[in-house]
Amino acid sequence: MLYAPFVFATAQYESGDWDSAPLVPANLIDSLARYTSLPVRPQGVTVPLGSEAVFQYPLLYLTGHLPVRFTAREAEVLKQYLERGGMLFVDDHNHDVDGAFNKTAREEIRRVAGPLLPLPNTHELYRSFFVFENGPPTTSHEMNGWGDNLVHEQLDAVVKDGRIRVLFSNKDYSSEWSFHPDNKRFLSVDNTRFGVNIVVYALTR
Amino acid sequence: MSPLLSQVLQVHRALHTVRVVRRILHATAAALALQLLLRITGWDVGASFAVLPAVALGATVWWLLGNRGHASRPSEPDALARTALWVEEQRVAARTAPDFALTTAVEMLAAGTAVPHALALVAARAMQESPLDAALWRARRAAWQWPVLFGVTCLMLMRVSAADRTQEGAAVATRTVPTGDTARPTATAPLGAWSVRVVPPAYSALPAVTHGDVNNVSALSGSTVVVSGAGPAPHAELTAVNAKRATMVAAREDASRWQFTVLAGSAPQTARVSRGGTTRLLIVEGHADSVPRVSLDAPARDSVFREPRGAVPMLATVQDDIGLTRAHFELIVTSGEGERFTVRTLLLRERSWPGSARIRSTELRGVLDLATLGLQAGDVVHLRAVARDAHPSASREFGSSETRAFRIARPTEYDSVAVEPAPPPEVDKSMLSQRMLLMLTEKLDKAQKRLVHAEVLRESLKLARDQTRLRLAVGDVVFQRLSGESSAEHAHSAGDGHDHGVELQGGKLAMSTSSTTGMLEEGNDSPVVAINQPLLEAYNAMWDAGRALEQGNPHAAIPPMKRALEAIERSRAASRIYLRGKPPQVIVDIGKVRLTGKDTGQVTLRSARAALDARAADRDTRLVRAASQVTTNTMAARDSVALLRVEALGDAPAFAAALSRVLAAMDRGGDATDVFVEARRVLGNVLRTRTTSWSRGVVP
Repeated sequence: MLYAPFVFATAQYESGDWDSAPLVPANLIDSLARYTSLPVRPQGVTVPLGSEAVFQYPLLYLTGHLPVRFTAREAEVLKQYLERGGMLFVDDHNHDVDGAFNKTAREEIRRVAGPLLPLPNTHELYRSFFVFENGPPTTSHEMNGWGDNLVHEQLDAVVKDGRIRVLFSNKDYSSEWSFHPDNKRFLSVDNTRFGVNIVVYALTR
Repeated sequence: MSPLLSQVLQVHRALHTVRVVRRILHATAAALALQLLLRITGWDVGASFAVLPAVALGATVWWLLGNRGHASRPSEPDALARTALWVEEQRVAARTAPDFALTTAVEMLAAGTAVPHALALVAARAMQESPLDAALWRARRAAWQWPVLFGVTCLMLMRVSAADRTQEGAAVATRTVPTGDTARPTATAPLGAWSVRVVPPAYSALPAVTHGDVNNVSALSGSTVVVSGAGPAPHAELTAVNAKRATMVAAREDASRWQFTVLAGSAPQTARVSRGGTTRLLIVEGHADSVPRVSLDAPARDSVFREPRGAVPMLATVQDDIGLTRAHFELIVTSGEGERFTVRTLLLRERSWPGSARIRSTELRGVLDLATLGLQAGDVVHLRAVARDAHPSASREFGSSETRAFRIARPTEYDSVAVEPAPPPEVDKSMLSQRMLLMLTEKLDKAQKRLVHAEVLRESLKLARDQTRLRLAVGDVVFQRLSGESSAEHAHSAGDGHDHGVELQGGKLAMSTSSTTGMLEEGNDSPVVAINQPLLEAYNAMWDAGRALEQGNPHAAIPPMKRALEAIERSRAASRIYLRGKPPQVIVDIGKVRLTGKDTGQVTLRSARAALDARAADRDTRLVRAASQVTTNTMAARDSVALLRVEALGDAPAFAAALSRVLAAMDRGGDATDVFVEARRVLGNVLRTRTTSWSRGVVP
């Protein structure tokens, strides 16, 4: 194999419940294997955000329900990680704009990477592999009235030099994608396809 | 040379001169335009007019060399012929029809051929009739007028520019320049000393500072730096670090002094000030107002509380370079689980320092009373200290410390690291009862001398029943199972073969020799993941005590009861660490998902069956016919099969054997479908795959 396989990394931060969606990595790994020819490692890793080990992974997945407060070390490492070309995908497991995770995570990201701004639904992220004409796919949790009872039309992002550094979602993909990959056969349309776009974008842009 | 040719040669030279002069004029005009462009764009090339001849000369040489191929020598026949043709063209301008006699004659003369007399006369007349002087004048005018006009325009523009500079310089030179207490007129006095005054932004409430004649000054971002000096206003430019362009700074002149101001930013700037041939630099080092630095000294670490009560001391150190205005502890209390969480934010120990009361460093102290927060089991409290300075910007960042998290343990959880003492196990109740039992037993032991044996036995049996109850209660918590089940007694009758790490030895529990791995490999029974060794000792001691009590011997029961009590106490005092449960690890079978994995089974290939030969086809028809007769005429069918078998014995023994099984089945009665099918497959040489647990099976 010419290239090291892609390893899906979940960021472990000291505050909050970073491990609230333990099945998401396996599900997205399954999707990558199912739809792409990317070399991918069959099992994800959990990497402490305060460790320089994060530099080994091009994409970090961060989620949770509880408040996010980066330690000084975590903030410093994350800042370096983003400046070196890493991409952070943050998903609000509360899907609640008034929730603790959304408020605190946005504050921490603003400090580390700058303000989050709405990402246009015409962004290339939505065409990096599958085509999502209407922007980010809606999750069942949004439509079921959980959290803030809103269907969020857009994702937010910190874009620098034409590249997404931080992708922030209030759509609760962590709930939507947290099921065993074997159960995909019960879905008429695989709802994890957008995750493939995120990974492919992180690896190719 | 003939006179005619001589005249043509003169005209040719005149025209050549026109062309050469035109090229020189073009070059000169280009040089002037270049000079003007340099002056307009502000490039100071020093002695500008010295450059001009060099540029003009170079351009001319380049022009001549570049056109050398086009310059015809007069001696060349073609050149003279073209000149003659030009002369004849002038006759057209004079409204005389050209006869080209001159051109023909010149060509013949140039080629050394004799010219007929008549042709020579006509050519001479054409030469005389041509208005050569006027034509040459027109050629000169046409060739020279535009470059001359362009060059003159450039010269005029340069002169205007030079006049402006001279006028500006003269104005500066005649300005009155005061020096010290006296004012005297001087011409462009060199730049002298200056004074630098830094006025910090109003929000900082810092005093203005005058630095005197310095070349470097540090200022808070937003400060006004006032540079002033004596004499006429100098020329000042301001350049930010890494900026390519300088910004002109207007110096204000007031009577005998000048001054200009620089607004300090968050990055250094350079002010270049020049006058009278003297240039000085002033570096303004702007630095941003830093956000307050906050450190949370206490509590020093995260924690888990067994109950939502208690006091947590809080201590934070806050510092700022300008001054603090507000500081407080911030608590975020998160309640809920799963997908439902509620959050509330509380501010504690709020302090503010308005106006002049600002301080640069302080400590925040307080005590967090968990009981007042109304916490429930599972709630999480995030604590940090926050401080703000006086910066007026709405988007101003505030300083915050690291965050400490406290969690209230759920009664049922065991999956978190507990740094606080764990809740006492249920065995505590047993300990009290065990102590009471011990006291009652000691009392009975002392009293048994004055009691009859039957009375002692009755009391002893009562104690034995209580001891047994306690023993069973202890047994419930000796083993911790993966499923949460904890009974040690549930299936441990002697010889039940129910070994999962524990075995009964005469009523006592003992560790199995099969070790822990044996326990964990057990089938449906939930594996034992932990054994409380002290309680195991207590259990066995209780068994000894109970047996002694059942025998009516309270004295013998006292030592094991004491051992049991001591073991329970050790168990109670043991430190407990609850480890967080690991999330489920799902390993995706990439090869399987991509349908590229290795398959240990073999796929049965299906291919078109070969057609039966004539004899086999006949036998097949007969076999099918016999099969169809089985239900209607069994005997006829049996005979047909028997005949068929006999015929096949020689050339198709396998088919004959299959028919033997058919006959046997028919003799037995019942359904013979399977054996008929098998016989037909044997006839057709059809291989069937055995049905196995592996769906795709193997070829037999």
